[in-house]
Amino acid sequence: MATGVLPMEIAVYAVPAVTLLLGILIGYLAQRSGFCSIGGFRDYFLFRHTRILSGYLALIVFSFLGYLLFWTLTPAAMEHFFWALTSGPFIPVPGAPAGLGPAAYILLAVIPGFLVGFICVLLGGCPIRQAVMTSEGNIRAAFFLLGMAVASPVFAAFVSGWIVLLMKSLGLGA
Amino acid sequence: MVPCSIHDTVRRHAFLLVRHPAFLGAVIGILAALSQSLLISAGGPEAYGFCVACHTRDLVNGVTNILAGSSLALAPISKNAVLPVMSVVGVLIGAYVSARVNREHAVKKGSFRDYLLYFLGGFLVLILAMVFGGCPYRAALRTGYGDIIALLFIVAMALGVVAGTVFMLKRAEREEA
Repeated sequence: MATGVLPMEIAVYAVPAVTLLLGILIGYLAQRSGFCSIGGFRDYFLFRHTRILSGYLALIVFSFLGYLLFWTLTPAAMEHFFWALTSGPFIPVPGAPAGLGPAAYILLAVIPGFLVGFICVLLGGCPIRQAVMTSEGNIRAAFFLLGMAVASPVFAAFVSGWIVLLMKSLGLGA
Repeated sequence: MVPCSIHDTVRRHAFLLVRHPAFLGAVIGILAALSQSLLISAGGPEAYGFCVACHTRDLVNGVTNILAGSSLALAPISKNAVLPVMSVVGVLIGAYVSARVNREHAVKKGSFRDYLLYFLGGFLVLILAMVFGGCPYRAALRTGYGDIIALLFIVAMALGVVAGTVFMLKRAEREEA
């Protein structure tokens, strides 16, 4: 069990507060800068513009640097940094449906990745861009967020189990 | 004039920095790591500091669980905390304040067909992101944390964007012809 700077009793209260403050700062800067992961790849492909893409690339590079920094400062909070070395190259960080094998996780990364890119570019932005557009008064983007909200319990109640069953029936279980 | 121009230069650079996407990318990367360092005692997973899809799932399922007494799945950090992660609420507030302060707030309506398409798009994107275990942002954090599967997601997403762009160009050509 990983231990962070804040003890458990305080952390359970800090979670909503810290994430709210972080979100406000990110939302403010995202509205100012037009930050978008999908838009970055689109603009680079269409016009060779690198401005928006630089945001997403900076996120990858600085998250590595950030985790490296806090791994040296608070190693107990970064138990499995650097993941591929501590846990194996084809094991994902938890978050996807559990109990599957490496081949299943590769399939479940590549197919959804492709489809997320395809759908989001047609709708003009990735999830954070849709949230920012909603705050700017775009009603269409608000329906995107509504769709995400409605899908949340549906995924937890049904889809997650179906995916595990499907992968296991293909012989791709753990 | 000299001190004034130095002051102006600093202000202009600060203004440019705040408006540059790369600055925000760096801010999210560093603060996501700080957030994990502070909060991980409340529960996992790792590399979970910021994610629009997962945090929406945690917010909706967590609040539903509290109000309706259900037990929909969500990340341990949101299950153990008094309230689930609030990043998405924060993004909405922050972007709203920014749009108001900078006079960029304008209501844009669409057709019923637009609303239906965006609703379906949001629905599918959340499901697909959860199947992988993160939206494009958490994919970037996971890649920075050393997860090769997340890097595959990013590569596939870039290919999907190219395919979607080509599809849109083809459709536009057909409509012109």
